[in-house]
Amino acid sequence: MRKTLFYSVLLLVVGYCCGPYLWQLITSLKPDGELTALPPVFPERVTFSHYVSIFRESRFFRIILNSAAVASVTTVLSIVIGSLAAFGLAKLNLRRKGVILGFVLSVSMFPPIATVCPLYLVIRALGLRDTWWGLVLTYTTFSLPLSIWTLTGFFARIPDEIYLAARVDGCSPFQALCRIMLPVAAPGVFTAAILVFIFAWNEFLFALTLTSTTASRTVPVAIALFPGLHEIPWGDIAAASVVVTVPLLALVFLFQRRIVEGLTAGAVKG
Amino acid sequence: MKRRDGRYIFVAPAIVLLSLVTIYPAIYVFILSLRRKMLIFHISRFTGLDNYIFLLKDDRFWNALWNTVYFTAVSVSLEMLLGLGIALLLNRPFAAKGMVRAAVLVPWAIPTVVSARMWEWIFNSDFGILNYLLGMKINWLGNPSWALHAAIFADVWKTTPFVAILLMAGLQVIPRELGQAARIDGAGAWGVFRHVTLPLLKPVILVALIFRTLDAFRVFDVVYVLTGGGPANSTETLSVYAYKVLFQTLQFGYGSALSVVVFLCVGGISILYIKLLSGIRA
Amino acid sequence: MIILLCLLIFPGCSDRETSEKAHGTVLVFKHGKIAGDPGPLRRLLARFERENPGIEVSDETLPASSDAQHQFYVINLEAGSADFDVMGLDVIWVPEFARAGWLRETDRLMPQKERDDFFPGPVEAVTYRGKAWAVPWYIDAGVLYYRKDLLDRYGFKPPGTWQELVFESQYVTAMEKGLYGFVWQGKQYEGLVCNVLEFLRSNGGGVLSNGRVVIDSPANRFALGFMRDLIVKYRVTPPLVTTADEESTRHIFGNGRALFMRNWPYAWNIFTVENSQVRGRVGVAPLPAFPGGRSSPTLGGWQLGINRCSRHPEAAERFVRFMTSPSSQKYLALTIGYKPTRKSLYRDHELLARQPFIAGLYGILMNARSRPVTPYYMMMTQVLQPEFSAALTGVRKPAEALGSVARQTGHIMGIEQ
Repeated sequence: MRKTLFYSVLLLVVGYCCGPYLWQLITSLKPDGELTALPPVFPERVTFSHYVSIFRESRFFRIILNSAAVASVTTVLSIVIGSLAAFGLAKLNLRRKGVILGFVLSVSMFPPIATVCPLYLVIRALGLRDTWWGLVLTYTTFSLPLSIWTLTGFFARIPDEIYLAARVDGCSPFQALCRIMLPVAAPGVFTAAILVFIFAWNEFLFALTLTSTTASRTVPVAIALFPGLHEIPWGDIAAASVVVTVPLLALVFLFQRRIVEGLTAGAVKG
Repeated sequence: MKRRDGRYIFVAPAIVLLSLVTIYPAIYVFILSLRRKMLIFHISRFTGLDNYIFLLKDDRFWNALWNTVYFTAVSVSLEMLLGLGIALLLNRPFAAKGMVRAAVLVPWAIPTVVSARMWEWIFNSDFGILNYLLGMKINWLGNPSWALHAAIFADVWKTTPFVAILLMAGLQVIPRELGQAARIDGAGAWGVFRHVTLPLLKPVILVALIFRTLDAFRVFDVVYVLTGGGPANSTETLSVYAYKVLFQTLQFGYGSALSVVVFLCVGGISILYIKLLSGIRA
Repeated sequence: MIILLCLLIFPGCSDRETSEKAHGTVLVFKHGKIAGDPGPLRRLLARFERENPGIEVSDETLPASSDAQHQFYVINLEAGSADFDVMGLDVIWVPEFARAGWLRETDRLMPQKERDDFFPGPVEAVTYRGKAWAVPWYIDAGVLYYRKDLLDRYGFKPPGTWQELVFESQYVTAMEKGLYGFVWQGKQYEGLVCNVLEFLRSNGGGVLSNGRVVIDSPANRFALGFMRDLIVKYRVTPPLVTTADEESTRHIFGNGRALFMRNWPYAWNIFTVENSQVRGRVGVAPLPAFPGGRSSPTLGGWQLGINRCSRHPEAAERFVRFMTSPSSQKYLALTIGYKPTRKSLYRDHELLARQPFIAGLYGILMNARSRPVTPYYMMMTQVLQPEFSAALTGVRKPAEALGSVARQTGHIMGIEQ
């Protein structure tokens, strides 16, 4: 009885989360004439023309490559810099810890629309317009608050004894970070990584402002470029959103396993 | 002395990067908020707190502030509750756990430019699937009383996974033995939750709460696409208003003042959260 | 850290200077995304390059959304960017950009005798303080779509007045099931202002008159109240119109669920496509007016402007002249459906033979009236949109809304002091 309740709630949750996405999938298979005809819910004639069109017309492969590159480098940089900072804040008894955390958080307190103009000037001055590095620099900076706060929370939860024991064993702080803290806090690290990756993948405002050609254009900007002056090619947009979400889901699925493994490792040590 | 310097090296890269990239924009916005700057008319002069005084008398600002506060309060509460519920639900072992976790993240993974438009179509009174399934013709986005709630619903759907995934990770690092020990002591499920799980989750809850509140208070994309701030400014949040002032009317001074107000509000709320949930940071 | 920054910079530099030495002048043309095949535009650009050796044109697309483009231009032009030379400008931005000093004057490109060949509306829209600041590229105006088959069935003609439209809608929708009477764009955005002005002006009202704010007038109050009545009193317009934009209404009409629709001419081509449900059953007519008034479609369309900071102004001028020439406009009309801004092309045999539809547009386009041509317009529209929306949704009475608009607009017009 409890099991059926559990599974039905689970089904509800999955339905709630995936329902609109499935609707996108169905829409992407409908020919143009049927896009807003309701009923029927399912397409009368399944067509893959939208998928063909997005890859052929907008150099979608290059765009996905741009997004993948920018998001990956951002994630790596953000987690590395964030781990270092979080470790320092959580374990090294720094003075002015609160001030530093507050400063880090304040970066996220401005509405992005206010900072886009001056940020554009900064990126332009550095000569990074329409490049991967311009986006990486921006995204790493703006994802650091989330990285640092999340990782600090997870590192702080690790009992001090474990850290001190490692130091007694002769590890430098840096070695302790790599060999002890990161593995034990793995769920937090991978969660932060997923969130940063998705942030960089889906960010729109800065990408729109800092890119101008397919040299560095990312997925959200490309999708915003599908509509014409008045027409909105809803079939193409639905197909693009299906295509673009799949890599993220695959990534999450892979990372999920690592979280479980990380837990096991922690349990053994703990 | 040497040891202290050595320790600060860990936070140095973060602080240097953040400063380099954001100090200039932050100063830019603060200084502009003290000026009257209208690009079109080449007006640019220092006016002190005039922008802020005007702001206090601006009805549209108060309307936007109220919409923003309402949006944030309802949205964040729902997200935290749902996210916590989902995290607890998914915390026990069951078949296809990995796939379900990935599935739960779908709303967060869809690009915002798409999800906002998608909800616009779902909410469409004539050919939207929601009205189709309900069998009614509710004017979700065109009715001033409903529109903000529709926006909240779309936002909650999108961002609940963010909370859920953070809390899931937080639950993972709570040793199972603690819960088992409590049960042996006679605690029920609720007792375990309240006295064991919740306190240990507090740091992660704090992070989720702060960042969700930050984002909800600064919400822009979903509202702008769904309703453009309408109908009759009933969904115009502070960011939408600031956007229009900055990029439509090109009043950079006043727009910056609005942004500073957002900054101060969010800062105040964060301090409030930290004080309320204080004593937990190890 | 500094070394890291240097490493960051070097791969990132876009080196326009050296690439130009290799290829000659490179003109950057920024414009909104064109729906459909990008091929025709590229072929046109290639033709320009052939006729102008030494100039290469690089076209960069921006999102089609007018707001997104406006934001882009504001950020770049304010920073004095020389990264692009020619830009596509929405009809409502020209006075604003001209006043801000971001455009290069185009009087040379529109000498008087040529100016007469353009429609009067766009010419008025690109003229500020007696000078021309952009050249009209393609034109748009509000038109009335109607279901020919349904009107014929009941012996009706396309309505000449709004009251006739109400009458015909009520009659036909009582007879036919599942049909809305009249759909238009009432979402709180720029399109709403276009729609409302079509009612206000066709009743003899308007926003500005000789620089004076005249929006709070009995004629306007009546017209705005009439729009609200379409929804609540006459019930020919569904409430969903308060959140409808071009595409939603286009889909509704295209699915055969509306008798009348106000929209831009772009929808026509979509209705004539193979599997359209309303193929062969749609007609286009000028918008109705109030008794004693004149049909006043709102002017849309885009113009080509030259960045004042452009490093190649002469080449840019040549490019703009080419793109707005009769042959280019005819080519774009035939391939991507941009309606030409030159009156002479509406008598061109080949164009009329291939697109008979545009013959009917000529009269409408001659009557098309631009929104207030003033650098204050962008501020004004931010006042007009919420107040009009409030009147349509019943949050405010029309008189209240218009009074508020008058007050705020008066304040805006005095803002330079």
